[in-house]
Amino acid sequence: MGFSRALHDAGLTVNPGNLLDLCQCFEHIDITRRDDFHAAARATLVSRHEDIPRFDAVFARFWEAPESIVIRRRKEGDEEAEDQDEQTPGARLLLPSDEGGDDSPRDEPLKLAYSADEALARHDLGTLADADIERARRLIREVVKALANKRGRRHAIRRHGRRPDLRRLLRSRTYYTADGICALPFKARRINKTRLVLLCDVSGSMQRYSTFLIEFMFALRRELSDLEVAVFSTHLTVITDLLKRKGVAASLRQVADKVHDWAGGTDIGGSLRQFNERHAPRMLNGRTAVIFLSDGWDRGDANRMREEMARLRQRAQKLVWLNPLLGTPGYQPLTQGMQCALPFLDYFLPAHNVQSLSQLARTLRDIGA
Amino acid sequence: MAEREGAAAAEAASRHFQSIDEIQSRFAGRGYVADRMLATTMFLATSLGKPVFLEGEPGVGKTEIAKVMAEVLDTELIRLQCYEGLDSSAALYEWNYTRQLLELRLQEARGIEREQIGRNLFSEEFLLQRPLLKAIRGGSARPPVLLIDEVDRSDEEFEAFLLEVLSDFQITIPEIGTLRAERPPLVVLTSNRTREVHDALKRRCLYYWIDYPSFEKEVKILRTRLPQVELRLAGQICRFMELLRQQDFYKKPGIAETIDWARALLALGLAELDTEATNATLGCILKYKGDIEKLRQLGLDGIVTMALMPGHDPSAAPAAFG
Repeated sequence: MGFSRALHDAGLTVNPGNLLDLCQCFEHIDITRRDDFHAAARATLVSRHEDIPRFDAVFARFWEAPESIVIRRRKEGDEEAEDQDEQTPGARLLLPSDEGGDDSPRDEPLKLAYSADEALARHDLGTLADADIERARRLIREVVKALANKRGRRHAIRRHGRRPDLRRLLRSRTYYTADGICALPFKARRINKTRLVLLCDVSGSMQRYSTFLIEFMFALRRELSDLEVAVFSTHLTVITDLLKRKGVAASLRQVADKVHDWAGGTDIGGSLRQFNERHAPRMLNGRTAVIFLSDGWDRGDANRMREEMARLRQRAQKLVWLNPLLGTPGYQPLTQGMQCALPFLDYFLPAHNVQSLSQLARTLRDIGA
Repeated sequence: MAEREGAAAAEAASRHFQSIDEIQSRFAGRGYVADRMLATTMFLATSLGKPVFLEGEPGVGKTEIAKVMAEVLDTELIRLQCYEGLDSSAALYEWNYTRQLLELRLQEARGIEREQIGRNLFSEEFLLQRPLLKAIRGGSARPPVLLIDEVDRSDEEFEAFLLEVLSDFQITIPEIGTLRAERPPLVVLTSNRTREVHDALKRRCLYYWIDYPSFEKEVKILRTRLPQVELRLAGQICRFMELLRQQDFYKKPGIAETIDWARALLALGLAELDTEATNATLGCILKYKGDIEKLRQLGLDGIVTMALMPGHDPSAAPAAFG
């Protein structure tokens, strides 16, 4: 179907099942009425609020002049992008084409821009000494453990506990054969792994710590299945998917490629807003801990930052700020960004080397996060 | 093939509405103003027998749709409020253990055979029906409306479980067997979007995003729900709300707030909006301290004045809202 193809080209995935649903709809509605058809198509084919404007645009364009769309597609469709589309029919992302310069805000998170600065920035991604890495990993594991264990609201079977599991008791055979005298099965709240969202500052002022940052990200990634990572300086880019790939080196290259404002300026408030608006509903729930890794140098609007921090505070379970500068003797969190953020944080901890990480692990254990 | 035709025929027989217009007019009769798009979606939901997934900001009337739908169809509304940790024993069924234990003692005392006791204990008599099971068994003659409210509050496990139930409308209870819905209920799911619900679940549903209403629509809704509000005041109220929604609040006011506020203003006996009364009743509109402070900073006076501007007075064209 041409229409579904056009939607696909606009970056909207159409599920074949839903297409069938739409066809079924035709039995019930009068498809010559355009608004009814529009309503039916939208109800069956779209499943996200963000997609609606795009869907409407494609719908309007397609049904006004289907021909012109087809022609347009051929012109811009480079072979490569076409092939990739076919291989991953479920992909929601618009694969960037060579043109890349298209500045429409819609595909902003997926957009690739290229500048000479990036090529330079790429060289900064080094590694720590092997022994240090090993130690850091061990510590990170502890940190994660301390952070991630929290009682959930669902129950699991336990041998001992306070709440007897009556359902299991009645279904167990021993209860009937032993005349009602048997060990009671218990249930207790299951431990839920906390979800972690890591927001890393990769602006120029953080450059000194970039190797550490990257190690930290990768170590967390290995330890936790439920982790989202985003980096920000003036924009925010989610790089969770990039970190999933195997091979640190390959991923690093991709990260450096994708994050075009690596080692740029800082606008924490703006980046946070981007996060709150676009990613927060999907990533945050009542048991999400958000970890900032930043020195708090901010050139953005302080009010906005305060607002966005408050918003984040309401949605996340814990807010942790790791500041590499906090390890420096005599450091006071006086930067504008830090001042805005401090009232909203649960923990404000140093993170500049391996020792500070071990302190972090201890702190978290003590508080029983 | 024949089976499919049979199913289609059965579906046609159970169809509740003849046309989209009928939905619109019958909803209007119950005081719910539905635009054509929403009516089409609901119409398709009833005719295709698919669940509807309603998403939108809080207070735009998502839950209300299910209630009105149940009223219009003159059937039972079964509501399942979601929360984190909601599991099958709260959503589907649970055995009544205390009664089972008592019964066990009784039957033992009577000397009933052991196996027979087992069978007796796990009969429907001891089954506590929770909303989902109730919707599937459907006590009344007409298929009920099942409202699964605020799905976004539940956790992933429950979503997966819902998928299973919603795709076949059947439930398996090990002790009894598989229960299948003879007349599948009309399912309405709502979400406030505090988190993204999984795609697999959405894909099985008809999706509809309820937006804040347009000015005209909001006036109409307000006048339908509270006929005693003068057209002039209604226009001012809605204009004010529209202006507020353009601002960036943590929680923007929905229609529910509009109606609450109008009610409050009525109780104060106001014929026209003024700053003082608005200030006193702000609690009806904004529910966060930060938002209220922000509004005061923005200058409440200015917004009230703008809301009073005659250019937006709907009484200038009363025919449109009559």
